[in-house]
Amino acid sequence: MRVSPRGRQSSSAVLIYLIVLMSLQLFLITVAAEAWLTDEAALAWSTAAVSVVLFGCAAAFLRYLRP
Amino acid sequence: MADDDSAVEGAEPAWKRDFPYEAAAEEEVTRREFARYLVLGTGALAIGNIGLAAWTQLRRVAGGEPRAIVALADLPIGATHLFRYPTEADPAVMLRVSEDQFVAFSQKCTHLGCVVYHQPERDRWHCPCHKGDFDAISGAVLSGPPTRPLDQIVLEVRPDGFVWALGREVKA
Ligand code: FES
Repeated sequence: MRVSPRGRQSSSAVLIYLIVLMSLQLFLITVAAEAWLTDEAALAWSTAAVSVVLFGCAAAFLRYLRP
Repeated sequence: MADDDSAVEGAEPAWKRDFPYEAAAEEEVTRREFARYLVLGTGALAIGNIGLAAWTQLRRVAGGEPRAIVALADLPIGATHLFRYPTEADPAVMLRVSEDQFVAFSQKCTHLGCVVYHQPERDRWHCPCHKGDFDAISGAVLSGPPTRPLDQIVLEVRPDGFVWALGREVKA
């Protein structure tokens, strides 16, 4: 059960990826808010699509983190 | 010996020294918990993005029902009239250009949604937020950051002496 230094490093890397994905999601919500303000439905939908893909990536990373 | 150690307040129990695997596992659980919160956060933001997109889409299709806006006699030439169309949440403005010419636009700037107003001396609609300018008659962009003309309200002067709004036109 002891975690090897290599395992610890990879789980740190996963955490960093997740933090980056979270930052991207925060950026995307500002893009969606701007699209809402300017009534740009096409931009809003493409932002939502990218956001869902990022969520999928984050969920996949979480699975990878499981022992 | 072990009993003596555990008797000391706050000291690490003897079993933990003998079987130290628990400490590493505990740290890993904490990491996983943190990662799970992050994933939940990105999921919530993704749902928020979808909600905003649906809201934006639904607002665009609201074209409006025909409605009397203002009596001809109440709007002199060169004057503007503020009203709300198609819903109470949509500010709009009408300008009487000449005896029989009227134009009306959504007051929402197409850049970031500030309210535009008429500048008679420059004959244009002006947005004070980032100095966007739109043509007074067509609503086309003259200068500034907006890339799309103002949304136009289609008008009709009816025999009842009122100017009617017939619908909102979103220009590309
Ligand atoms: S909001 Fe009108 S120019 Fe930026």
